Amino acid sequence: MVGPGFRDDHILLIAPGSKFTLAQLGLPESFTPAKLRFPTRMFPGLEEGQYLPNKVHELKEGEEMLLRNGEVMTAGPNGKPVKKRKVDSASKPSTTTQAAAGEAAKPTDGKGDTTMADAADDREENEDEGGDDDEEMNGTKEEGTNSKLFYEDDDDEEGAVWCLEQGRIANWEAFFALLLHIHETLNPTFHTPILMISQPCWTCTDKERICQFIFEKLKTPGFGMMDAAAAINAAYNVQHSLVIDVGYDKTDITALIDWNIQEVNRTTIPFGGNSMNKHLHKLLPDLTEEEIDQLKRSNICEILPHGVPIPGEEDIDKDEVLRPVEPTTIGMGGIAQPKALDEEGDEEEEEGVTNIAAIVASGKTQEYLAKKEKEKADKRAGLAAGEKRLPNYKREKNSFLYVEKVHDSVMEDGKTDHPTEILDGERMDVDVAPPTTEEPKPVEESSVTSGIDGPLPASSEEKQPEATKLDTESSKVAPDADPSKGGPSLMESMFSGTKDDDDAKRAQEKALRREEKKRQEAAQSGERRKEIEVGTERFKAAEGGILEAIADAAHRVVSSADNYNLRSECWNSVIIAGGGCRVKGFKDALLNTIVTKYQVSPSSGTIFTSELPSNIPTPSGTGTNTPQPSAFNSQQPNALLLQAAANNAALAAAGQHHLSIPQPNQGPTSIKIAKIPEYFPEWKDHGFDECMFLGAQLGAKIYFVTDQGANKGFVTRADYNSQGPQAIHNI
Amino acid sequence: MASTPQMSGVLPPTTKPAELEYGGDEVSALVLDPGTGTTRCGFAGEDTPKTCVPTSYGIVPDPEEQKYFGKLKIGENPINSVVEGMEIRNPMSEGIVENWEVATEIWRHCIEYRLSSRLEEHPLLVTEPIWNPLKKREKTTEIVFEDFNAPAYFLVKSAVCESFANSKPSALVVDMGHAYTSVTPVIDGIPLRKGSDRTTLAGQHLTNQLRHQFSEMGIRMAPWLTLKSKTTYTDLAAAPPLRTKDFGFQPHQSFLDLQQDRFIHEFKECVSETWPEAKTFPADINNLPDNFRGIADKAFEFPDGYQRRFGIDRFLAPESLFNPSVSPKAITGDLPKGIAEMIKDSIDHLDADIRANMLNNIVVVGGTSLLYRINERLNHELMTMYPGPRVKIHSPGQIPERKYSAWLGGSILASCGAFHQLWISKQEYDEVGANIIERRAK
Repeated sequence: MVGPGFRDDHILLIAPGSKFTLAQLGLPESFTPAKLRFPTRMFPGLEEGQYLPNKVHELKEGEEMLLRNGEVMTAGPNGKPVKKRKVDSASKPSTTTQAAAGEAAKPTDGKGDTTMADAADDREENEDEGGDDDEEMNGTKEEGTNSKLFYEDDDDEEGAVWCLEQGRIANWEAFFALLLHIHETLNPTFHTPILMISQPCWTCTDKERICQFIFEKLKTPGFGMMDAAAAINAAYNVQHSLVIDVGYDKTDITALIDWNIQEVNRTTIPFGGNSMNKHLHKLLPDLTEEEIDQLKRSNICEILPHGVPIPGEEDIDKDEVLRPVEPTTIGMGGIAQPKALDEEGDEEEEEGVTNIAAIVASGKTQEYLAKKEKEKADKRAGLAAGEKRLPNYKREKNSFLYVEKVHDSVMEDGKTDHPTEILDGERMDVDVAPPTTEEPKPVEESSVTSGIDGPLPASSEEKQPEATKLDTESSKVAPDADPSKGGPSLMESMFSGTKDDDDAKRAQEKALRREEKKRQEAAQSGERRKEIEVGTERFKAAEGGILEAIADAAHRVVSSADNYNLRSECWNSVIIAGGGCRVKGFKDALLNTIVTKYQVSPSSGTIFTSELPSNIPTPSGTGTNTPQPSAFNSQQPNALLLQAAANNAALAAAGQHHLSIPQPNQGPTSIKIAKIPEYFPEWKDHGFDECMFLGAQLGAKIYFVTDQGANKGFVTRADYNSQGPQAIHNI
Repeated sequence: MASTPQMSGVLPPTTKPAELEYGGDEVSALVLDPGTGTTRCGFAGEDTPKTCVPTSYGIVPDPEEQKYFGKLKIGENPINSVVEGMEIRNPMSEGIVENWEVATEIWRHCIEYRLSSRLEEHPLLVTEPIWNPLKKREKTTEIVFEDFNAPAYFLVKSAVCESFANSKPSALVVDMGHAYTSVTPVIDGIPLRKGSDRTTLAGQHLTNQLRHQFSEMGIRMAPWLTLKSKTTYTDLAAAPPLRTKDFGFQPHQSFLDLQQDRFIHEFKECVSETWPEAKTFPADINNLPDNFRGIADKAFEFPDGYQRRFGIDRFLAPESLFNPSVSPKAITGDLPKGIAEMIKDSIDHLDADIRANMLNNIVVVGGTSLLYRINERLNHELMTMYPGPRVKIHSPGQIPERKYSAWLGGSILASCGAFHQLWISKQEYDEVGANIIERRAK
């Protein structure tokens, strides 16, 4: 059955995730990252069984409600809010972005009405890690009819119903309400087919249920489902792969052979980005969950490559370093102003002492002292921070800016982002930097830009070189300079250290002025942020067993794949995707874990046999690394031939039926990360963590446009009418 | 969901669909194939099961728990995580369910995990070994109808499924599984109890033999999960200390065994090989005759990084399947017959007129039949035993088809139109009780 011809710009893509649901209407000329992201949660509505995208407070006449920005709203007569500001009475969709907010309303309000166009144009601002809570939305006030005021509070997450749990659909009503909401938001035409990314753990009945809903409620002419792993694989365009999709609460591990999902062996383990949060929380019990989450997403939190010691700790396992990583290739975003470790503050003192012990032990006392002297001298001379900043991985302590989420909407982006008085006070405590020296701040900015506000520029660019195996040192320069996208002044200040003093001072003054202004604004809107300093715990996010768990599950998945010979192919294109793997260094650390534990050294594997059909016994490697050519009994001059002949004879005797399935070699002997496709420029900047959506676009293009249903890539209305929801399994 | 548009023309026009009769096309039937090693489940009509979960489960002792005195850990991931005090057990014994409560949980997990959350909607086909006693068959029936609330159900002998999966109504089915190797003659879809036999010379036996062999060699069989990383070995005599992980507790021995099974399984796949000829395996592998034919060494790396070349010794454990007297770990009690002997006995028990048919249709399936060159050996043995009639071994050429042969046959059966009248409906069960199984499915 040939489906109706669908147009590129009519196709609706939906990719539900535990935290965010990505959606987009229409396939652009060049595939882009998802234009919209909806938090995958709904709020119980005023009526039973009804769900709304935003939290709604109901205020009776005369009731007061304290808004998050410190104002009090009172419901006046006839449901009119007394403090009426820019109000959009229509129930606007909730995907407003921070930038949109920032532009629409200056911080005095913190609220602004936005349109979908704003949101759509501004995906960058929303590129937060898949597992974060602080999706920004604006409040809208709805004027009730019967003297009640309904206030939609977008920041309030209380009572939110999360639709998915570990990928499974936990609340169907809410999930369907979300789908409906997305559909209404995008308001597609009647000719719009829908492609949904399905979570690996969805059962067949789940899929049927969704299919039924889509056809009966959304009235689509065509509906297709694409498995998340298949989509990721499609984005990478590899024939065989091992897809590791690190989500919020779970990680899906799937082997694909010949583009086909190895259904029986795939697995979902309950580890994900959130497990790292939990582990960090265990290490840093003083921080709130929100603070932990921001810490994880800040760029001071990283997983150090194997062999790079955590500062202040001895590297015990030095001898097992398999792939030494040049220190210069890491810690790019972690540059910030140095902290004198042993000055002022009791706690500081203690840390400083241990650190010194470590330094002494490492025999670098002289160097250290010299460095310290220089630092002090630098400070006295008021030199720019650039010269003395230490990369994150060398610092025992580092700090990040915690922004309370209510105020996120106020921040425009990184460049406007500034420490407040509290921060200053703290800094004066911990730093010996004289108050006149304000250079460090611009540097701090960079971390904010990339870490909290819009991790996009820094982290995504950075991921890429990491994933492509850190090919060149020079490529690292790019991410370094990247935060400068935040604004020209930022760039200046970033590099002020390398320029002459005048430049630095000018930049500094500029920064100061701007800061002052921002501070005032911030004070007005009640904005509050603080700098939180953490110790080496920030390097330990993944030490809660997540890497080992994923590595072991991956090994199990591939080892049980039913095609012996293609297992090694899977190992040769490992794809690590998903929001959870955005923590700096995560991919490398994971790959390293797999390699160190499961990779078989070539000597015992295939090096001698891979050229020959594996059912002919051939000399194989020896226990040592030296090949031994005489693996056969020397009395038989041509043992190989004899063996082959014997085999053939046996096969001939056995006739045509298959007797022996060729024996595999022990593997894996090599494990590689799949190469990121280069022909999607938009994705290059975005990072490939959400490449699932790219796969969805490719899939949609093929299923709906190129193929037009010839190969049954989707369920048409007619299919649905004749087969019912089960039709979804026939595609 | 109940009012789904229905496909017409599934049933013959003369047959009025019974109230609780389900066709494979309306609501897919589920096929459950419980084994000792793994439990397989999937939808009828598909070519591979969708789920394959280990039948072993973990139990973490907890006196608070009333039912099992511990917390159950079911499924691939839970049993492969290190949990303090977790003991690995298996609800099966002799290939049939022993612990019904846990088995029910495992079955439920197997189905709900990825197939369907609505057990009550799907007819369920379950496979059973031929030696399943009446009591257990009734119990299975009870569980399917009482616990799962299935609308319809049927119990099929796995040997029948296996012969169907190889498109043979009559065959001598040799199923080399995890716990048992069984031989069952099937004539026109009817399994014969007479002539069927089983032996423990199967996957588990191999694993235990290899485990013993390795420990004799002084290999420290530290599994992956207990290690931090590999150790650099120079030689085994002066082995460096293992880089073990410190959990703060000692994992239960049964857990360690299960984890060892993982690399032993890999060894079976990659290194173990069956001696392809009958009766020519050297009696003393440490003292090979001078004119002995060359054997290719194969190296294997253990999880702790230790590498070793295996020569003739990699044939030893598979050889014990055919000749149990060479078992590295001496078998206690009576020495069982080798697999080939057992098949011979089975054939000799059969009526003379079907022997030729059986010999010509030997179907070899099961995970252990994937052991390298085991079918060649079997072929050789049987040809030596029966030089006259033509011996022909049939074995699927694809790995999944061998591993999931019983499931696949069940899938074919349950999806074929003629099977509709065989389903036992809930209504019938309610009227007759668990004994219905004995009346309807012998």
